[in-house]
Amino acid sequence: MAHHEPEQLTETQLKYLRTERTKEMRIQMISFGLMIFLTFIAFALVALELDKNFIVPIVIGLAFIQVALQFYYFMHMKDKGHDFAKLLILTGLYFAIAFVVCFIMIVWIGNPI
Amino acid sequence: MAEMRYNVPNDQWPVHPEKATLEGRNKFVGFWTFLAGETVLFASLFATYLALKDQVPSQDHLVAAELYHLELAFVMTMFLLTSSLTSVFAVYHMRNNNFGKMQLWLGITVLLGAGFLALEIYEFVEYVSIGHTFRSSAFGSAFYFLIGTHGFHVIVGLIWITLLIIRNANRGLSVYTAAKVNTASLYWHFIDVVWVFIFTIVYLLGVL
Repeated sequence: MAHHEPEQLTETQLKYLRTERTKEMRIQMISFGLMIFLTFIAFALVALELDKNFIVPIVIGLAFIQVALQFYYFMHMKDKGHDFAKLLILTGLYFAIAFVVCFIMIVWIGNPI
Repeated sequence: MAEMRYNVPNDQWPVHPEKATLEGRNKFVGFWTFLAGETVLFASLFATYLALKDQVPSQDHLVAAELYHLELAFVMTMFLLTSSLTSVFAVYHMRNNNFGKMQLWLGITVLLGAGFLALEIYEFVEYVSIGHTFRSSAFGSAFYFLIGTHGFHVIVGLIWITLLIIRNANRGLSVYTAAKVNTASLYWHFIDVVWVFIFTIVYLLGVL
């Protein structure tokens, strides 16, 4: 197997890599801040005891945003070479949503068709 | 084998150490496949929980809205979310070939995870003492199975990362150990992903 990684990095390359990683770290910190913020909003909405029909979709939406941040930034799914990971996780999510919707339909809504 | 050298100088450390070897790349694809399977496992538990939520045999059994404490769920969320960030720090230092700091942040991740686990055990003990047990109702079974499976994953993650810290303490960083740390960190993030849905669907929507 051909190895494309350079055996020895020059001083400039090292410096460049360090800056790139620091930049990425800053983005990670921002996404962490966002996650904390979204968590606060979700808990606050529920604690305020607003209308249920208003809160439920928002809180579930916030959860999906948080999970996307977690996958794309913390688990590096935004980086190159993650196509297979994306395919797998999306397939997993497809089944996950299908299971949940199916059970809620059968048990709580009943005879949908 | 040049690939197996430990504690190489910075200018010889690969850009993506966790994927520098064939084993590392295989581990990466294999682990994402495993995580997709885990997604489906937790989905079936979530579906079961949602189907059986508040299904209790009689009026004297407690239901979700009377059981859950939002404050506790909030503190647990903060513990796990922060531990997710500290494992990002660990991977950052791993890529920068900084073994000491990587070990330090992995250690902090374990401590935060242990804090989360302690709170979860406290919560379970509390619920059992007021009569909400695994066998008390269908709701109880579904609740403990879902949260318990997640808690089991936390225990596995804690043992895994602790073993990595101990095992690597004397030998340091190589492309071989880097792949291991990266995989453990992915697992830890996934535990947090599942928890995001648990605190939303079980706790937040449970008290409504």
